[in-house]
Amino acid sequence: MLQRINLALAFFLLTLAFGSQPLASAQESTKRDSQAKTLETGTFHGKVHQTSGRATVYQEADGKLVLRLTNFKTSNGPDVHVILIAAKDADDDANFLKTDTGRLELGKLKGNEGDQNYEIPTGTDLSKYQTVSIYCERFNANFGAAPLEKF
Amino acid sequence: MNGTLTSWVLGKKWILVGIGVPVLVVAWWAFRPEKLWVNVKVNEPAPFSSSADLQPVYTGLLAGRAHPTSGRASVYQTADGKRHLRLTDFTTSNGPDVHVVLAQSSDDSLRQDFVKSQLGDLELGLLKANQGDQNYDLPDSADLSRYDTVVIYCERFHAIFGVAKLDKF
Repeated sequence: MLQRINLALAFFLLTLAFGSQPLASAQESTKRDSQAKTLETGTFHGKVHQTSGRATVYQEADGKLVLRLTNFKTSNGPDVHVILIAAKDADDDANFLKTDTGRLELGKLKGNEGDQNYEIPTGTDLSKYQTVSIYCERFNANFGAAPLEKF
Repeated sequence: MNGTLTSWVLGKKWILVGIGVPVLVVAWWAFRPEKLWVNVKVNEPAPFSSSADLQPVYTGLLAGRAHPTSGRASVYQTADGKRHLRLTDFTTSNGPDVHVVLAQSSDDSLRQDFVKSQLGDLELGLLKANQGDQNYDLPDSADLSRYDTVVIYCERFHAIFGVAKLDKF
């Protein structure tokens, strides 16, 4: 009897912990504008959590900045975000970001595979934030980094 | 006697379960190991019209070899399928008989500054200028999955001025 109650309690706790998380899906409508300019681009590297693909920063006609990931692939994980970091690159072997590295949150990673867009806040200084990082906040782990170079 | 022993073990078991279950739950929450097998795929369209007449399909950065060389090499494709190579922010040193060629990144000749035997290459043309943005037509037959490296190549001295490995855009 006690065992049953305990099992039920465990399941209840698990449901509470995970059940509330919405399924990740990205059905965003995107603005279509042929005047978009390609500002910067770079490719991802990451060994501990295999990360590959391309990161490109576009500027739309109205001045808005968009980060687009293409041919993208990384490992799935808990609490993974897309951030810009104020560094020229992030080391593969270090894999953890230094605490004093400047960070700019772009949003939760929409999917660990596939093409996806993220808005960059207007007024962001791209000469300061030079690298895109796929960043696991829970463990301060850098899954992969793409240093951006002028296109 | 037997009864008390059984109940003691039972009591201890519940303590173990009481500690073990929360530990497992916390570990699961932290590491989410099931995500190792679960992929989340997305496929968003580009934030601009994909019917734009000019699309970059490959790009790479030039790195200097025998002579300092820098800039970006990109392959663009027009709506009708024509491709051309474009060099931007480009600068290299001037020299005699300098060509823009495509080579295969697997070619061992590319490891050195000077090619000893023969560079298995695909000629794109004489370098138009040693500085500035410039375009070169790509032959329709050029297979960029094999010829994936742009080489600024001085044919007279078999010197590799600079190379750019092209990656899918």
